[in-house]
Amino acid sequence: MTSTLTVDLVTLLPLLAPAVGAVLVLLVDVIAPGRVALHHGIGIAASLVGILGIVLAVNHGRPSTLCTAGPTGTCFLDLTGTGAGIAMAALFAGVVILLLTWPGRGMTLPVAGPTATALVLTAVTGASVVAGARDVASWLIGLELATLPVVGLVSLTGTRRAAHGALSFVTTSVLSFGLLAVGSALWVYASHRVTFGVGAAGAVWDDPTRRPAVVLALLFMVAGLGFKISAVPFHMWTPQAYAGAATAVTTTLATVSKLAAAAGLIAVTRMLVGVPAHQFAFVMGLVSLVTMTIGTAVALRQDDVVRLVAWSAIGQGGWILLPLVGHDGGGVAAAAAYAVAYVLASLVILAVVAIVSGGAGSGDEPGARSLAAYHGLFRRHPLVGGALALGLLSLAGLPPGVLGLVAKVTALRAVIGVHLWPLAVVAVVNVIIGLAVYLRWVAALFGEPRPDADAMTLTRPAQIALGLGALALVVTSVVPHIVLWGTALG
Amino acid sequence: MALILTVLLPLCVGGWLVAGGRHLQRSAVGLVSLVTSVVTAAVAIWGVIARSSFDRAWLPDLGSRLHLRVDGLSAPLVLLTVGIGILVAVHGLTHVPEGGRPSTFAGSLLVVEGGALGVFLAGDALLFFIAFEIVLVPMWALIGRFGDPHNEAARKDAAARFALFTIGGSTLMLLGIILLIVRTGTADLTLLPAAVAHLPHGTQLLAATLLTVGLAVKVPVWPVHTWLPPAHTTAPTAGSVVLAAILLKMGTYGLLRLPVLTVSNGFHSIAPVVAVCGVIGIIWGGLVCLVEQDLKRLIAYSSVAHMGFVALALSTGTAAGFRAAAYGNVAHGVVAAMLFFIVGGLKERWGNADLATARAALRETWPRFGFALILGLAASLGLPGLAGFWGEFLSVYAAWSSGTTLLRWCAVIAAIGTALAAAYALRVARLVWVGDAVPVERVAAAGRDADRSEMFVLAVLGVVTVLLGIIPAPLLTVTGDALRALGVGS
Repeated sequence: MTSTLTVDLVTLLPLLAPAVGAVLVLLVDVIAPGRVALHHGIGIAASLVGILGIVLAVNHGRPSTLCTAGPTGTCFLDLTGTGAGIAMAALFAGVVILLLTWPGRGMTLPVAGPTATALVLTAVTGASVVAGARDVASWLIGLELATLPVVGLVSLTGTRRAAHGALSFVTTSVLSFGLLAVGSALWVYASHRVTFGVGAAGAVWDDPTRRPAVVLALLFMVAGLGFKISAVPFHMWTPQAYAGAATAVTTTLATVSKLAAAAGLIAVTRMLVGVPAHQFAFVMGLVSLVTMTIGTAVALRQDDVVRLVAWSAIGQGGWILLPLVGHDGGGVAAAAAYAVAYVLASLVILAVVAIVSGGAGSGDEPGARSLAAYHGLFRRHPLVGGALALGLLSLAGLPPGVLGLVAKVTALRAVIGVHLWPLAVVAVVNVIIGLAVYLRWVAALFGEPRPDADAMTLTRPAQIALGLGALALVVTSVVPHIVLWGTALG
Repeated sequence: MALILTVLLPLCVGGWLVAGGRHLQRSAVGLVSLVTSVVTAAVAIWGVIARSSFDRAWLPDLGSRLHLRVDGLSAPLVLLTVGIGILVAVHGLTHVPEGGRPSTFAGSLLVVEGGALGVFLAGDALLFFIAFEIVLVPMWALIGRFGDPHNEAARKDAAARFALFTIGGSTLMLLGIILLIVRTGTADLTLLPAAVAHLPHGTQLLAATLLTVGLAVKVPVWPVHTWLPPAHTTAPTAGSVVLAAILLKMGTYGLLRLPVLTVSNGFHSIAPVVAVCGVIGIIWGGLVCLVEQDLKRLIAYSSVAHMGFVALALSTGTAAGFRAAAYGNVAHGVVAAMLFFIVGGLKERWGNADLATARAALRETWPRFGFALILGLAASLGLPGLAGFWGEFLSVYAAWSSGTTLLRWCAVIAAIGTALAAAYALRVARLVWVGDAVPVERVAAAGRDADRSEMFVLAVLGVVTVLLGIIPAPLLTVTGDALRALGVGS
């Protein structure tokens, strides 16, 4: 079977480049120990090569590879339909995270040296794999690749708080892996196939003897992914892990891991295209609604910005789930677009959090993470304050963060397309609560600085990281079409 | 091209002032905003005269285009907006409220102006919505940061209430817009009416309800008007002026453009409710004005009453009613702007706007303010020969002549409302203009009459008020022609 596979290296680049980068980092450290800047350089270059690979593959009309020959051939890697956008966002997140943690003054990864860099790159690889995976094995491996390195990073932080966060995170990850594995096994058992095709569940669904197994498989897979995307009631690990870890790790968790989870869910939902599974829509709608409401409402009460980000990440996860109730092509694309928009905004927000809390930001200075520390940030440093305001308004879905607004529009369109009006109404309520959450933070930015606040200085890499993140938000806000197109290819 | 410049110029300069203008001197900020508003006005007038339009692909996935155009319904409001923009900039040369940098203040005002111009010029439903959202954050900042310095809690509360009500309204409106886009496949406001006419009545009714409720929050129509009085009470003078003269107009223009003209069948079914709410607003506002002790809040409630007339006129569904609504819209923009300039000036000098405090007669202490106040109150109560008359007279006339029993009753009650308006206008005149007997030395220490910039602003608005009252024909003709072009006969 392997001999008949066609392999297109350019199309494989988004997966290969970060993986090779991770290995290279470890190798280089063996040959020339202690060159931390070099590790970051390799990692950034690898991620950029991956992005280039996506651009080339899409431009040359070769978005799928690892295909079996013949008229019934299937491809095991396919970047069409949401894949390209998600993989691109994950690689971009990798670039920003590695720039933010560039050695020197400023924030660092929990452990200096090659391990942390390699772990970040591995997580990025995992997200890329899930984004393109069209078979059970790659899907499962990709999901774990995107999670386990982050588990490592969280536990490597080393403080007491981090240990608590890591413990619940590890437990959750193991449980989630178990659910996913059982779900995948049930899927293979029920469908006699290892691939995740569009509408693949349709044929099995019509067979009443196999339907129970498919339903169970879907339930297990969705529950396992529920943990990863922090959907209520599987969300309890999120605030602990976010708040305990170093900010750079939190950023990885909030962007790369979230993208992998969203891509995983999208792959499952895609199998349901054309299947009249109203129960699935009901379950997904209910989970989405509860998740966004609880996440956003609790975020309103937070004063620690990292906890605020954590609860808002739960709420935003609900928005990613929302369009999946449609389980048609439009709903899937909308979920991917929302995930990408959320990740671009979160990158900017967390980059600023990292810069403001300074250093490792591992919770040793609780004061630096309270909302009060952000008073007058806009006056102390307009770029930092302006970027944060843009990111927050994107999450709130307000101009100038047009990207977030357009993402909300596409998500709501999918809901209205299937007449789920109660969901739409709850979503409206959530937009209002969300505005209160994010405006509270924005209000602090534009206030008077504390008298003891000194002027902020940014290291060059941090400047570039923040500038890149903000630039991505600005460009996608002027032409949101890029994101919608990248997440709806094919 | 002129139209895109009209929108982008104030947005870009305003954005730059907020983000990068922090080192500018107060005088430089004043000059920049004045020049920007004058140039914007010149470009806008050129665009209106040349009837130019702008149309580019933007979001093909959502059927939305970057489409700006001007017609007889929007042209008067565009001119009103750029005019108010200049007056506010002139006023800002000498009056900058405390609470933040002058550049932030002037920048926010320019962004609001740009957003409003975007709303009036938008030829695309989604673009209309996005432009609507642009004004939210800067207006929130104007109220929350630059509002009444005496009461921080009230200021925060008013700003939050404004933001949450408005976002709630706009998200409901968004649901309606998405419903139309999903069902018809287009967001083009010129194509939508024909496409909507083929939809089932239930869909039309739902879309019309969502759009009407959402926009009613912004107008505001009773019973969702409760955000307006606190916002007006706390906002700085220029903020109040912009709120009354531009933001409320966006709501009524939106009502006319979206539910009334686009989903006319659906709106027809809910029109009686709108009419009744409008009339309740007229009476409610009038009654509150008879007892209200805060002068700014009183003018705000009179705005609720005036907007009630516009809502009543729209609910008739006839060309006469629409012309009355369009006329009342512009007239209220001019008269309310004048009243808020006066009342804001008085509040700055008095320190508060409490009517219970005994004060010397305005006609003796500050005769310029005194004269302008009498003119504004006379126009506000609908005295023939001044701007306010035609809007109210034609509304009542349109409601009476449309023939249904309900609308006739509404016309009668609205006519009683005009009597209430006369009563409260006279109450204000007696309390402020006639004044109380106070010792002569208090009169001398009371401060100075309107300064040069205030004189200019009041003179311009006074002349326009009289002109609109004496020669109503041009405005009515322009609106009538536009309605005929849209297929609504006169």
